[in-house]
Amino acid sequence: MTEKSSGIFQWINKRLPIVNTYERHLSKHPVPKKVNFWYMFGALASVVLILQIVTGIWLMFGYENTEEGAFASIEYIMRDVDGGWIIRYMHTTGASMFFAVVYLHMFRGLLYGSYHQPRELVWIFGCTIFLAMMAEGFLGYVLPYGQMSYWGAQVIISLFGAIPYIGESLELWIRGDYYISGATISRFFALHVVALPLILIALVFMHLVALHEVGAGNPEGVDIEKYLDDDGVPLDSVPFFPYKVLNALVAIGIFGIVFSVIMFFFPEGGGYFLEYANFEEANPLSTPDHIAPVWYYSPFYAMLRAVPDKLGGFVVMASAVAILFVVPWLDRSKAASIRYKGPLSKIAMVLFVMSVFLLAWLGTVPVTELRKTLSVIGTIVYFAFFLLMPIYTSIEKSKPVPDRL
Amino acid sequence: MKKILFLSLLFFSYSAFPSDTAPCGDFGECDEFSPQLNNIESLQSGAATFLNHCYGCHSLKFSRWNRIAKDLDIPKDIFVSNLVFGSDIKFGDRMTGSMNHKDAESWFGIAPPDLTLATRAHSPDWVYTYLKTFYEDSSKPYGVNNLVYPGAAMPNVLSAMQGQQVLSCKDIPVIANNGGVKRDDLGNDITEEKCGYLKTIPGSGTLSEKEFEEVIYNLVNFMTYIGEPSRADRERIGWYVILFFIVFTSFAYLLFREYQKDYH
Repeated sequence: MTEKSSGIFQWINKRLPIVNTYERHLSKHPVPKKVNFWYMFGALASVVLILQIVTGIWLMFGYENTEEGAFASIEYIMRDVDGGWIIRYMHTTGASMFFAVVYLHMFRGLLYGSYHQPRELVWIFGCTIFLAMMAEGFLGYVLPYGQMSYWGAQVIISLFGAIPYIGESLELWIRGDYYISGATISRFFALHVVALPLILIALVFMHLVALHEVGAGNPEGVDIEKYLDDDGVPLDSVPFFPYKVLNALVAIGIFGIVFSVIMFFFPEGGGYFLEYANFEEANPLSTPDHIAPVWYYSPFYAMLRAVPDKLGGFVVMASAVAILFVVPWLDRSKAASIRYKGPLSKIAMVLFVMSVFLLAWLGTVPVTELRKTLSVIGTIVYFAFFLLMPIYTSIEKSKPVPDRL
Repeated sequence: MKKILFLSLLFFSYSAFPSDTAPCGDFGECDEFSPQLNNIESLQSGAATFLNHCYGCHSLKFSRWNRIAKDLDIPKDIFVSNLVFGSDIKFGDRMTGSMNHKDAESWFGIAPPDLTLATRAHSPDWVYTYLKTFYEDSSKPYGVNNLVYPGAAMPNVLSAMQGQQVLSCKDIPVIANNGGVKRDDLGNDITEEKCGYLKTIPGSGTLSEKEFEEVIYNLVNFMTYIGEPSRADRERIGWYVILFFIVFTSFAYLLFREYQKDYH
């Protein structure tokens, strides 16, 4: 750096804390030196978020938010826009991958107790991000205005109608019309591209600020703040830059391979990422034989269908997400990580994972009597994992957590 | 490690769950179709079949004439004089079809659907099987019915090539509990009559069975192309992108390992 430019740099730095911020959040930010692959999904989620925003902006160049033009404009992007198909597949694959990495990221949280004191707020911001993502994904899925967009929206919006007293007016308010129409598309478009992305970015910012305040966890559940060097830096930590950035680069590389395999060779993901029925233009007069949500909502959809009453189903589905928020206070275990928790926690975790997979499958297939029973069982196991957590985590004996990483 | 193994086991058992309904209606499982999107000759022949036999009723409204000519290496003058019917059509127009929707509805009871995305909405396997499973059924308005899509409101446009296809019965061996063929006391195979098989009456069509099969193959190949014209490009570019990420990951890993020495 020359004298002069360093002068300019100093001038700016006195007014804008570039060096401080860089040191605090990157070059000197201490992170546990020993973590495993489960700790990579947060970084990957932020990569996908950026990808979704950038590809989303490009898609908007060609997308038309009207009832007549929406479906055709997607095909226009796929055919007439140079490289349009690349942008579109990046966005659709990105949507599925966003949920995939976030689900893995959340599972990591449950596995290693990332919500334990003092990281409760980090966890709560995370759950809020998940909630915002679910809304964002739903709104986006309606925009191409294919058969599944239309009928999926029909099912989901009608759920709000089940709320007593205000239900019907609420439904009307969301749709902006008496049935799903151009008015619905244009408001969903505004919410999908402006409102929710702003909320998501703000929430991610808060998630990271809170995280950097309390520091990242580790698979052992060790509190690295206990042993500090003379400068007050945890002994079992390394600076974020360059060490953890390199970690993330390897993860991004591997993720890039997985992402490209899907995007270039299986963009429909066997009908789970892009549903085949959505290649047909929305037709209010013809209901598809089988309405199924995209894979990332399917566990919740199965819970919805497990309850015969519409309002009851809606409440169960909403509770399934809401209960995540209070996990920090349900877990009474002294050990954060599953490695040092007792056998009951381990059994509960296995049953929980099985119930989620079972529900995910049930949400994508037509209902039969047996499947309905299975959905009820899956839903009970899902909730039991959380509701019984205060009991099984306090009666079991956890192993002593080591002092150092 | 055990945990990862367990999780992956869970995942695979998950993907092995059965799906129900037969994808190809009364026909059962669809015949498999593997497209050859780089086989220009097949695509050209399919385009010719489509534009001569299907385009009269079915539009390809999301596609443009000049895109097909370009992708299928057909010179403009040959394309326009042989495949574009209608003097007011411009080369860059969308292929919106030649039939008025209102007329079509009154003639067929339902307007023939646009077919640009048929292979994406139904899968190429489905379209391929559908086109081969028309059979004569005098109870239907067009004298034909379809095994894949019973009650299809469409005549068998290609019947002149294929000839008369009828449903027939045949004797098939009875399978015993042990998996072998059941035999009577004299050692002869026991058979039973089963119906619902398609049979073409030999000599009733202008093409042989093999030639007709090829016509359908090329047609569905073209329809697969038109469903996603960039697919061949996509699959070609994909390899380079994956290769890039493999190289990127290798270098990132080497660098990561080098730096890891600082704290291990």
